Amino acid sequence: MSKYLIYILLPLFLLSACRSDKQKEKDFSQEFEVPDSVIYDGNLEISEQAMDEIVQNISSPVEIAALIKSLGVPYSNDYLATTDYVDSYNTSYKMALGLGIYGADLGYQNMYNKTGSVLDYISAIKTLADGIRVGQFFDFTTLKRLVTNNQNLDSLMYISVQNFNQMDRYLRENNRGNLSSLIVAGIWIESMYLLGGVVKESPSVELAEKIGEQKIILNNLMLLLKNYDRDPKFKDLIDDLGEIQSIYKNVTITYEKGEPEAVEEDGMLVIKQNDKQFIDISNGTMMQIIDKTAEIRNKIIHL
Amino acid sequence: MRNITAIFIFLAIITLGNLSTAKAQSGQELVDICSMIAGEEATYLKDFQIKLDEAKTGEEPPTARFSVVLSKNTQYRFTTCNSKDYSGQAILKLFDNNRLLGTNFVVATGKTYPSFDFKCTSTGVYHIFVTFKEGDQGLAVAMLSFVKKL
Repeated sequence: MSKYLIYILLPLFLLSACRSDKQKEKDFSQEFEVPDSVIYDGNLEISEQAMDEIVQNISSPVEIAALIKSLGVPYSNDYLATTDYVDSYNTSYKMALGLGIYGADLGYQNMYNKTGSVLDYISAIKTLADGIRVGQFFDFTTLKRLVTNNQNLDSLMYISVQNFNQMDRYLRENNRGNLSSLIVAGIWIESMYLLGGVVKESPSVELAEKIGEQKIILNNLMLLLKNYDRDPKFKDLIDDLGEIQSIYKNVTITYEKGEPEAVEEDGMLVIKQNDKQFIDISNGTMMQIIDKTAEIRNKIIHL
Repeated sequence: MRNITAIFIFLAIITLGNLSTAKAQSGQELVDICSMIAGEEATYLKDFQIKLDEAKTGEEPPTARFSVVLSKNTQYRFTTCNSKDYSGQAILKLFDNNRLLGTNFVVATGKTYPSFDFKCTSTGVYHIFVTFKEGDQGLAVAMLSFVKKL
């Protein structure tokens, strides 16, 4: 009889295994109770769809870190934000901004394959992500294993960037675009801080241009943030960034249109844009932007 | 004994049926495949998951649209990966504010490239439009990667 029982129980077990797989695919929002305070239910100045069009890739720590590395600038821990105050970030506003700041620092460390202090940063990110109920998208266990074993560092970059994208997508799809905007703002502020620190140590035309072209990025970021300006915390941040935007009025960007061309190089289709963009930024203006950004950034990490 | 065998066969059929349906390709699988196609020299930046219905007769094929900020003096890679569960083949077009800059489908040769590189010379907002060839229904991932500073 016990032999027959196995015949019946085995398929039942397999069936239940399949069902649990399906449960894993269900919407996470059903699993986590999200406090009202983190859901933005105010009226938006621009539609969610328009915001989706604005928000993508506004600030990428990968690109700025890659530029710094390509110029042969050595890595420095001095540019990184301290993680000492993470536990005192007690509102979703502070947590989301902090998430962006540490995300940018993680991107910088990953670009240089510096794993020495990465564990502190992924721990801080996990704490903050859990705090705003998106920790399920941050694969702390895998990242920790990669860091601890100092192996497959490309995967470290891939997984961490992808995890941030998943958090961002989830927040925007669940009426929490306000937090997504703060993460983007945090990434931008910290990337600018990093850029400013490097410029002071190792000035170069490329880095000065990079700071100048952030005028375009900041304009897009401000559009995003102004959507939530009825929230007093957002208003403060917008006012602060508005001061940087005012300084950027002294930066002139001009264009010369060219004809794009498509060529095949080693079997790969390559499109050359051929436009020209001229960025005119004085040293004085650049230093003003750098100092203002550092002031805002330091205010945020000591919130 | 016959009853037990019948129950066993019935449950086994249901189980196997469930196992086969669980094989549908997920968006995450497509992102991982896309990352491999993009190559080791490309650093993943963003992915866009696209699911579009079949075009209705006499109407333009449905289009997904995304906007990204791209930076001057940077080489980017756009890669598309199509789900094997649908017939649609993704066509990605990259625009600046008013001009088509490039696409992975070259009409003149009829060739569809799994990826193409874009050498950006002007920082700004760019627009990505994705449709499926001949208005087929499709599921795909379009991936933006960083290749190098120029």
